[in-house]
Amino acid sequence: MFEEKDVILEARHIVRRFPASGGRELTACNDINLTFYRGKTLGLIGESGCGKSTFMRFLVRLDVPTEGEIIFKGKDLTKLKGEELRQTRQYIQMVFQDPGGSFHPKMKIRDIICEPLMNFGRIKPSEKDAVARKLLEAVDLPGEFAYRFPHNMSGGQRQRIAIARAVALEPELIVMDEATCALDVSVQKTMIELICKLQKEKNIAVGFVSHDLGLIQSFAHQIAVMYLGSIVEILPGEDVGKARHPYTQTLLRAIFDTKMDFTKKIEPMDSEIPSPLDAPAGCPFQTRCEHCAAICRRERPVLKSIGKEHKAACHLLAEATV
Amino acid sequence: MLEIKNITICYKDRPAVKHFSMTLRQGEIASFVGESGSGKTTVIRAVMGLLAGGGRVVEGDILFEGKSLLKNTPAQWRKLRGVDISMVFQDSGTMLNPIRKIGNVFVEYIRTHQHISKAEAWQRGIAMLERMRLPSSGNIMNSYPFQLSGGMRQRVGIAMAMTFQPKLLLADEPTSALDVTTQAQIVRQMMELRDEYGASILIVTHNLGVAAYMSDWIVVMKDGEISDSGNRDEILNGVHSDYAQKLLDAVPSLRGPRYV
Repeated sequence: MFEEKDVILEARHIVRRFPASGGRELTACNDINLTFYRGKTLGLIGESGCGKSTFMRFLVRLDVPTEGEIIFKGKDLTKLKGEELRQTRQYIQMVFQDPGGSFHPKMKIRDIICEPLMNFGRIKPSEKDAVARKLLEAVDLPGEFAYRFPHNMSGGQRQRIAIARAVALEPELIVMDEATCALDVSVQKTMIELICKLQKEKNIAVGFVSHDLGLIQSFAHQIAVMYLGSIVEILPGEDVGKARHPYTQTLLRAIFDTKMDFTKKIEPMDSEIPSPLDAPAGCPFQTRCEHCAAICRRERPVLKSIGKEHKAACHLLAEATV
Repeated sequence: MLEIKNITICYKDRPAVKHFSMTLRQGEIASFVGESGSGKTTVIRAVMGLLAGGGRVVEGDILFEGKSLLKNTPAQWRKLRGVDISMVFQDSGTMLNPIRKIGNVFVEYIRTHQHISKAEAWQRGIAMLERMRLPSSGNIMNSYPFQLSGGMRQRVGIAMAMTFQPKLLLADEPTSALDVTTQAQIVRQMMELRDEYGASILIVTHNLGVAAYMSDWIVVMKDGEISDSGNRDEILNGVHSDYAQKLLDAVPSLRGPRYV
C-alpha cells in the first residue's frame, strides 16, 4: 500500500528539546521518524503533552527541531530560509484546532480564503469573487458565505472555511491539528467525510493529530502512536485491532462506544503520565506498563518491524521480517 | 427523588429549554446528550439554581425529595448545595481559586458545612483524595491548581463534590477536556460512587459512548426539547427518532465504518 515513489515527506531522527527552569531540559520529541505518502493519511495519536503537536509544527515550519531533518522534495525543510522557505510553504498547509482563533475577525470569508492565493500571485483581485465561490462549494458551503464574517458562522462552518483556505493553494500535504475535536460528533463526522472526499479528488497527503483512536482509525491509512515524546507503534489504519504495544492496547481498552459490551468492567490505568521533564530512562512507558521487565528500565526500545507495515518499540515483542 | 416537571427556561425572552420533564430515582445515573446549544447544561444548572445570564424558569417546577427547588431562599440554597446536591464542572481547575492551595480551599469548603477543626477537615480531605486514587494526596493538598494535570484537577473536583456524600451529583461534561485513559478513570470512579454511596448522578456529555456505558437512563436533547428518552437498550436498539440515529451513526467506533 505504501510505495517508495509516493513518499512526499520524510522526517528523520527529529529531536526537540526545550530549555526548562533549573538548567533542565524538556525533550518534547525524541528521535521521531515518520514518512508521509501522497494521497494517504497519517494519524498521529497520543495523550496531551506527548509532543504530537510539537512534531506537526515542524512540518509547517512554525518551529524548527533541535536535531534531525525533514526531507520534502529533496530539500531539508529545517534549513530553508527566506524566499525559498516562503515558496515551499504553499505546498504544506495547516488547519488548526480552534477555527475561530485562526481567522482575522474583521476580514470577510472571501478575503480569508483568497489570501494565500493573493500572496503567491496566483489570482488577480478581480477574480476573487469567483474563486471564493468555487472554493466554498468545494467544502459544501453556499457561495453567499463569501461575504460573511467569521463570527457569523458556526464552529463546523468555520472549520470548513479553514479547510477551504488550506486547499486553496492545492498543497501536497495538509496538517490538521485536532481539527475536529472542538466540534459536535455529528459535525465531526461530516468533516471527516469532507476531508476524505478532498483527499481523493486532489490526492493530498494528510497529517492528522488526534487523541481519539476511534476517530483516527475510521479514516487514517497509517497510525502512529506517540507516548512521552517517542513513537511507540506504527500500524496500518485498518489493523488497529491488531495493535501489539501495551500502550496502544491500553488506549484501545479506554474507548467508549455505543457498540461495546456494557457489562465489561473498565480497568483503566490508575497512574498519571510522568512529566516529560523527568521522563524515565529506558522505555518511556515503563512506569505504567504491566509487563515491565528489567530490560525496560535499562534500555530504550527502538522501533522494529513486527509485521507487515507494522512497527513497535517494545522489548517484549519479537522482531519479525516480512 | 428528583422530579423535573414540564419546565421551560428562558434567557431574556428566548426559550432555551421547552417543556422538559424527567424523573430520577435514588441510585440511578441519567445522562443528557445532544449537540452544543441543545440546552442540556441549562437543565442541570436550573436544578442547581445556577442559571447564568439572567436565565429563569418561567414554567413548571423542579422537585427534589418532594420539595420545590425554585422557591428556595439563598440561605436554603447554601444548606443544600455542596451537601445534598453537588456539582462537578467541565474543568474543575477554574472552580478552584488559582492563588490558594487545594488543601486550603478544601478545608474551607468542609468547614463551611460542618463544625469541625481544621486538622480534622484536612484529614477528611486527604481521605477523600485517596478514595479518588490520587497518588500522594498530602502533596496534592499542598499544591496549587496549576501544578496539577487536568485529570488530577478533575478528580480533586469530584473528591470535593463527594465529600458530604450528596444524594444528587450533577456533572457537566466531566470528561470532555480529558484524554481517553483519564476519561476511563473518571467514568469508573463516578460509577463506584454510585455503587458505594447510592448517589444519583445526572451527567451531561456529548460522548454517546460514555453515556451509554454509564447510564440507566438516556435523554437525547435537540433545540431545547427532548427528542428521545429511554433506558440504554431503548435508545441504542429500540425505536428512536432520526436525530438520535444520526447521533449514534456519528460516534466514532472501532467497529464502525471506515471512510478509506
